[in-house]
Amino acid sequence: METVIIGCGNLLRGDDGVGPILIRRLWELGPPPGARLVDGGTAGMDVAFQMRGAARVIIVDASRTGAVPGSLYRVPGAALEQIPPLRGMNLHAFRWDHALAFARWLLKEEYPRDVTVYLIEGASFDPGAPLSPAVAESMEGLAQRLLAEWSAPLRWTSEVR
Amino acid sequence: MATVTDLSPAGATALDLHVSPLGRVEGDLDVRVSVRDGVVTGAWTEAAMFRGFEIILRGKDPQAGLIVTPRICGICGGSHLYKAAYALDTAWKTELPPNATLVRNIAQACETLQSIPRWFYALFAIDLVNKNYARAEGYEEAVRRFAPFVGTSYEVGVTLSGKPVEVYAIYGGQWPHSSFMIPGGVMCGPTLADVTRSIAILEYWKDEWLEKRWLGCSVDRWLENRSWADVLAWVDEKESHYNSDCGFFIRFAQRIGLDTFGAGFGNYLATGTYFNPEKYARPTIEGRNAALINRSGVFADGVYYDFDQANVREDVTHAFFEGNHALHPFEGRTEPLDPAIGRKQGKYTWAKAPRYEIPGVGAKPLEAGPLARQVIAGKPGAEPWQDYDPLFYDAVTTVGPSVLVRVLARMHEAPKYYKLARKWLDELDLHEKFYIKPQELPDGRGFGSTEAARGSLSDWIVLKDGKIENYQVVTPTAWNIGPRDRKEVNGPMEQAFVGTPIADPKDPVELGHVARSFDSCLVCTVHAYDEKSGKELARFRIGEGA
Repeated sequence: METVIIGCGNLLRGDDGVGPILIRRLWELGPPPGARLVDGGTAGMDVAFQMRGAARVIIVDASRTGAVPGSLYRVPGAALEQIPPLRGMNLHAFRWDHALAFARWLLKEEYPRDVTVYLIEGASFDPGAPLSPAVAESMEGLAQRLLAEWSAPLRWTSEVR
Repeated sequence: MATVTDLSPAGATALDLHVSPLGRVEGDLDVRVSVRDGVVTGAWTEAAMFRGFEIILRGKDPQAGLIVTPRICGICGGSHLYKAAYALDTAWKTELPPNATLVRNIAQACETLQSIPRWFYALFAIDLVNKNYARAEGYEEAVRRFAPFVGTSYEVGVTLSGKPVEVYAIYGGQWPHSSFMIPGGVMCGPTLADVTRSIAILEYWKDEWLEKRWLGCSVDRWLENRSWADVLAWVDEKESHYNSDCGFFIRFAQRIGLDTFGAGFGNYLATGTYFNPEKYARPTIEGRNAALINRSGVFADGVYYDFDQANVREDVTHAFFEGNHALHPFEGRTEPLDPAIGRKQGKYTWAKAPRYEIPGVGAKPLEAGPLARQVIAGKPGAEPWQDYDPLFYDAVTTVGPSVLVRVLARMHEAPKYYKLARKWLDELDLHEKFYIKPQELPDGRGFGSTEAARGSLSDWIVLKDGKIENYQVVTPTAWNIGPRDRKEVNGPMEQAFVGTPIADPKDPVELGHVARSFDSCLVCTVHAYDEKSGKELARFRIGEGA
């Protein structure tokens, strides 16, 4: 059973890069056993291909909802599946919410049964900007949370022994 | 609306929230066309988004381009990396081991191989099932094959399009957004298992999609076609050709007239791509043309010219940038102007207008992309190890360019690049090195260029005191969708719209075919206006009606 963690977003656009930066942070901290880390970047359709064979998928992205910067949300993947628009379609416009619906079609029985999306509310999306402090802090919290989720069952296993 | 759990320290447990994930690098292209008596008489392309990577790169470390430019695009990131690496190779005067050149070639070809079926099925062919064609013979067959998600060929084509970049990831570590090509080589040490796996993946893609679905014949049989007449004869030669996706597409496209419009100027540019490992062991700007496997060149008004990067200009007369200069990219300036002010000066887009100065002739707008590459492939004088292929020179000089010819040029590259990638995989010498550490020169100028799936893509870099003093990226989309220049000459795509017949002004699907055939990197909306009254006839989002 494999978990795939996919960070989406554009490194060049300030807080939009939080997904790929989180992937690098998890790599620094030591990739959790049984997990595959993916920099999904801005290639939406390929996010779907990356899910093949995974039992569980975690997607991390920035959001722009007007909430307080750094707010962290967890959304069940099924709630965000959106069929890619056939009007005005372009591979650049293909986002991971489309990728979820697309992956369900593409992968069929291989579609992961557990998909969770974490969204971090961004403050600034200016070209070339670094992560804003609130987003960087929230990202660190999420990295720790994901690692804790992994170590919990392992600890439990060792306690049973 | 989605039920969301708010995990912020001060947040509530659950709330309803309208989640709006961010759009990415996408930008809108608004095309305005004027129509008289059912025919397009004028066109203006307006890129609605400012792209300021040149500004991000100024003053940064010389190698920043290797990280930044592959993220300009989620679709052609590998192509951005390829030319950014060569721009530094030429500026730093590096030495490249043959293995590095081969791996770069393989990766670059695989990115394009991925793009070909993905573009055809996911983007282009979905317009063929437009209801406007419901009465055309073969329409039901088009729907059966090409309808989004449910079409028999759509599913195979889109699903298998992911295969070639699996090969890229074996060498690049990841695709998209890899940064594994570096001055002096590549950052990988492939094993024999990596190479055999790559070959197996490519063969699978070739067998299951390219030969079985698309061609209905072997790659080698298709490549025997040397003229447009050969292609038409090929369709009827065998039932498997006739009923392949390629055979059906040619027949249906002729039925609905895709061979009759979308010509454009008929002037083309390819900066060329893929290098001979021995002949480009010391990359220089001057030595580039002679080392190319898929050659560079310019074809204008029926004449072939050698390509020289020194003749490229970017004209900003009608673009939202300060001034009305036409500068070479080494001197290039990216100084954005408030569009409200720009419009008063007759400017109408965020895209600069790249032009090519032909000595003794003047500045020419040139179409970039697969058709341009394949016309240049017909240029006489190729060395034995270079690509010489007269098919599309024949097509544009006999039947003339059109949407159909432009689409087939793209598809024609699938067998060609498959064969090249396959050969390069065989030539890797796993006992030899993949990287030679270069000397990091503080000052210099570099030019790197390649052919992305959608056309010529180039970087010009100026280094001073160990930092980037100037960096200019000229994309295929800019070549194609750029605006008029100082002489009021249309950009290539603007010109391609002119003369397009429109059957139903309320659903001008023909404009969609023209826009799509260029595969530009922008989401495209076409607005059609009556030339006399100025009244908007229709607004057409590309792909609508599918």
